[in-house]
Amino acid sequence: MTITEATELPTDEELTVQEVNLSGPVLKAGAFHLGKSCEYENNEFILCRREFKDPRKCLQEGKAVTSCTLNFFRQIKKTCADEFTQYAYCLDKSSPDQQYTPCRKTQAVFDKCVKDNLGLDRPPFDYFNRVHVHKSPRPALPVEGPAVYPDATPGLPPTAETPPAKYGSRFLFFW
Amino acid sequence: MAQIKQDMPPEGGYRPIHFKRIPCKTFFSGAAIIGGYVGMTAGAAYIYYLNYGAVFRRELEVKGGSLAIYPMLLAERDRAFLKQLRRNRDEERELMKNVPGWKVGTWYGEPVFVGPEADKFHNPSISEYYVHSSYKDMKKIVNMQFAV
Repeated sequence: MTITEATELPTDEELTVQEVNLSGPVLKAGAFHLGKSCEYENNEFILCRREFKDPRKCLQEGKAVTSCTLNFFRQIKKTCADEFTQYAYCLDKSSPDQQYTPCRKTQAVFDKCVKDNLGLDRPPFDYFNRVHVHKSPRPALPVEGPAVYPDATPGLPPTAETPPAKYGSRFLFFW
Repeated sequence: MAQIKQDMPPEGGYRPIHFKRIPCKTFFSGAAIIGGYVGMTAGAAYIYYLNYGAVFRRELEVKGGSLAIYPMLLAERDRAFLKQLRRNRDEERELMKNVPGWKVGTWYGEPVFVGPEADKFHNPSISEYYVHSSYKDMKKIVNMQFAV
């Protein structure tokens, strides 16, 4: 009951784009090169999502992410389809949870093909776990300061006298 | 009258009584046992250290791969989510059209969230998101990471 008539929701036409129709092992096989080649779009989208905390305001960025992903996989299909399929098949069949470790040989073949055809290097294995600085053209959101209450208790004036406590400290252990 | 025969020890006396303690055969001295324990623990700790690093790097790589495709999955999920929100709102309007005084998204005109921003987006709870579908469908997704 949080979505009222006043809540603006985008129409279905705005939301319908061609989606990435790929399965998990295929996405995992292409994940590293994909993340590297679509790094700008991904960072822009995630920054938008984290800043606004509102899926409606980041639709354009999301569409850019999806189209970049589609372009990447189209390029892979055009150039390295066999190597990529081998690698994805290996990831799918070699372990129950699609580990990268058992598929280093097919991965090396795929990496070489991508390097030769698309000029993309495979990023280091912990590249996406590191902290990266993203320079966005979008202006930063204003920072919300601490709340100011008009009826708060006014403090002492700065010239007020502060005599020592009449009966000492009330804290018994350190009199 | 029967002859009385005194019961006497055998000739030359009884055999000596065995009272000397016979300890178990010792294979290792105490120092060797403690030293072996310390050595084996140290060796095992070193092997564990090597393996720990390998497992850590392996899991880090898997996590990195997931992080790389996360924006794409999130973008797709957002679009499907917003479509479903619109569908839910249409469904509620259709369902409650005969109830006098009912306003969509509120309790007879009383909003759930009150604040200065009228158009602020509030994530609906999972039970609200699935309110017009069957419980079975909600149960399938209720523990998944990308759900609502």
